[in-house]
Amino acid sequence: MNNSESVATTVFQLGPLAISNTVATTWGVMLGFVLLTLLLRFSRQPSSLRNLLEAVVVAIEGAIAEVLPAASVRRVLPFVASLWLFVLVANLVGLIPELHAPTRDLSATAALAVLVFGSTHWFGIRDRGWRQHFRHYVEPSVILLPFHIISEFTRTLALAIRLFGNIMSLEMAALLVLLIAGFLVPVPLLMLHVIEAVVQAYIFGMLALIYIAGALEPTESDISAIPEE
Amino acid sequence: MMQFDWTTFILEILNFLVLVWILQRFLYRPVLAMLDARQQRIKDETEQAAQLRNEAEALRQQYEQRLADWNQQQETSRRQLDEELAQLRNTATENLKQTLADEDAKLRVRNQTLIAAREAALIREAAGAAYGQAAAMLQRLASPQLTQRIVEVFLQDLLNMPDSEQAALRKAAAMLIAASAVEVLSAHPLSEADQARVTAALSGAAGQILQFRFKEDPALIAGLRAIVGECQLHANLADELAFFRRQANHG
Repeated sequence: MNNSESVATTVFQLGPLAISNTVATTWGVMLGFVLLTLLLRFSRQPSSLRNLLEAVVVAIEGAIAEVLPAASVRRVLPFVASLWLFVLVANLVGLIPELHAPTRDLSATAALAVLVFGSTHWFGIRDRGWRQHFRHYVEPSVILLPFHIISEFTRTLALAIRLFGNIMSLEMAALLVLLIAGFLVPVPLLMLHVIEAVVQAYIFGMLALIYIAGALEPTESDISAIPEE
Repeated sequence: MMQFDWTTFILEILNFLVLVWILQRFLYRPVLAMLDARQQRIKDETEQAAQLRNEAEALRQQYEQRLADWNQQQETSRRQLDEELAQLRNTATENLKQTLADEDAKLRVRNQTLIAAREAALIREAAGAAYGQAAAMLQRLASPQLTQRIVEVFLQDLLNMPDSEQAALRKAAAMLIAASAVEVLSAHPLSEADQARVTAALSGAAGQILQFRFKEDPALIAGLRAIVGECQLHANLADELAFFRRQANHG
């Protein structure tokens, strides 16, 4: 953890783009995932790493299957599983000295929240069509349309702020304790950081999953459209 | 602290989308495909195991059916064998009873034969004893007078001889050669008159003149015996006793 500053700084310039340490760390995380998947791809023999990754994928698929209908699980799995894995690793990166968690940057969490916002509509439209997907904004009454729209933006904002606030506050607390108490004292706080990173990754992914499930959930008009036997 | 950088924002979006693509391409798809293949393999093996189990169950039922049939067949064969054995036993028992009955009957017949033979032997013995006693008694009673009396009876019988016996006598007399003589044996010596009467009576009965030779034979006890060729005329106690003894032995 970089104790000199807790805000995003530009690491290098890539043409007109100023690459911040958040983006650089994200690329590092992505590189780590790429290496991991390549390792998995080229290792033909069963290994602990392979078994661990299989277990992780199976667990995520099971968690998604508890919320979504079976037909949508495999379609949603790449996005939600990537959210869980990336947010978890991004949260834990802050434990490495001289590195910041990308999720302590509001720009990164906002980007993830916007992706969640977009994914709910993407999966909803793809699964039920434009008309059915946007009809639920005027159900049960058109009066609720503004509230639905406000809800869409506030929950996205809350998603971004919640993750950013928790991770940033954790790093700030650890930094303050380290400055005041000295070396090794913040170790229990770092243990709390691990737990908090896992919990926040789970919350972020689960909320995204619930939002997507809400978009895939049949509305009253869908139910009434089913012919009675 | 709450800085917002649009470049970082946009790059993070792009980064995440790229990460999703990478993970989907190199992690989720192979792992899920492998899991699907594994589940399919497990499903196939489960179906195969179920099929094998069904086949085993069918074989087990077939085996039990065959075992039941075999037991039933065995029971039927055993019952049939028992019936045959009972029938054979009954037949053997009946045969044995029949054999025993036959043996019993044979034994009874043999016993009866033995008893009859014993009785006959006793009768013969008694007849012999009676003959001996009678002969002893008659020898004591024998006398020339008795012989004389028997001669009288003999002459009387010659006169009343049946035709068939007279024909036989004449035939025997006819077959005598000329040198042969009628032999008359008597227990006591006959007087001249008795010899003449006997000669005359026998010649008259034979129908021709015969030559006679008179002899004494005490074994006759009393009476006489006339031998005309192959025809003998008995009129004595010894021949009568012998006759009665033969009758007793044959009876």
